[in-house]
Amino acid sequence: MAPFLAQLEQSGLATWIRESGVLYGYPLILFLHTLGLSTVVGLSSAIDLRLLGVAPAIPLTSLERTFWLVWPGLALTAATGTLLFLSDAIKHASNPAFYVKLVFVGLAVATLILIRGRVFRGQQRGTFLAAASLGCWLAALTAGRLMAYISEFIS
Amino acid sequence: MNLAHLHLLLNHVPTVGFGFGIALFVASLLRRSEELQRASFVVFFGVALVTIPAYLSGNAAHFVLQNEPGVSADVIAAHQNAAMLALVPMEITGLVAWMALWRSRRWNLPAVLVSSIVTFALMARAATVGGQIRHPELLTEGALAYAPAWPRPAAMGAELVLNNPWVWPICEVLHFVGLCLLFGVVLLVNLRMLGFIDGVPLADVNRLLPWAMAGLGINIVTGMLFFLAAPDQYTQNSAFAWKVGLILLGGFSLLYPTMLDEGGPPNREGRADVTRKIIAAGSICVWIGVIFLGRFLPYIGAE
Repeated sequence: MAPFLAQLEQSGLATWIRESGVLYGYPLILFLHTLGLSTVVGLSSAIDLRLLGVAPAIPLTSLERTFWLVWPGLALTAATGTLLFLSDAIKHASNPAFYVKLVFVGLAVATLILIRGRVFRGQQRGTFLAAASLGCWLAALTAGRLMAYISEFIS
Repeated sequence: MNLAHLHLLLNHVPTVGFGFGIALFVASLLRRSEELQRASFVVFFGVALVTIPAYLSGNAAHFVLQNEPGVSADVIAAHQNAAMLALVPMEITGLVAWMALWRSRRWNLPAVLVSSIVTFALMARAATVGGQIRHPELLTEGALAYAPAWPRPAAMGAELVLNNPWVWPICEVLHFVGLCLLFGVVLLVNLRMLGFIDGVPLADVNRLLPWAMAGLGINIVTGMLFFLAAPDQYTQNSAFAWKVGLILLGGFSLLYPTMLDEGGPPNREGRADVTRKIIAAGSICVWIGVIFLGRFLPYIGAE
């Protein structure tokens, strides 16, 4: 695994992200990652709050439309996240917080798909799923944000 | 012009501007005018927002003045602590006034009354201490500057962050939680105003607005803690100044859906008027700008 990660890190793309020093390198990718995640987590949380009884008058069908932004936001976050991982592959791969974050992002996205597939179709009341979704996003944000501090602590 | 000039300009808003708000509020009570009352709430909310850069630019002024002869570091420290002590009730007044604009409740009036009086008294105290920094003529001959050594919330905030290595990371996490809450609700409300989401009255979507305010509140508190711990890192960074400016614009833009309480049948796509669409699109762009500047802060703007 380690040689492969090193190879990734040494690739032209990863080196450019890390070392170009230009504003459209690392900082721009970091900004787009934040923009994507705040769109996904923000809209998903708003849906969760609705399911938990805030603003109960909003019909779920009218929230369908938000997925037009949620999925592109998720794609943007995943793409930029991959680039950020590449730029420092060995460090991120040895950081437990990174795996915690991935697991919770996966769970949160699965929950969101269930919410759209079942709760929006009226097959299930969404209270539990909404609470789980909020919890998973909170855990993912926490692990993601703490990655830098934890990797510093490890090394 | 530097940020010290900006401080001289802005530092009158929390006193004079707030006094104007109180006058409007009292007049509204005497004349039983709901319109005047809402105007006074808007003033309270606006002054609470502008007080944030008034406070922040004070640290920039401190940076400029620190090596000036005849300027007392003790008086500046006392002014900073007095200003922080006034900033907290100021922001609470702004929040309570916003809630009154959002949905009027019976407790709104006494809450605004009490918190605005407390704020005004503490702000007058902060202004009195601050005036002495550059106005020796205010002191009668032989009198010592009024520089209360207690309480010292600004210094305690800085110590909390600097002495506990876990506070900064925790605040970073909370800053992202607040950001997501705020941005998510801002997106939803403004997309509704743009006609992108239809089939629902704006008044129903507006029920989510307090969560945007909660996010904004979390981020003002955590952002303030970052600032208290490392003020020069921020006052000497032009991206930060622009970020705060955009936060003000974004904050004001939240008033628009708050006060546009249209309960009627849902707007069909394309029917929303142009002004509303421009404000909604502008609000989304402004908050994206805030995220952009926040992320780019370490890379641009630093001298």
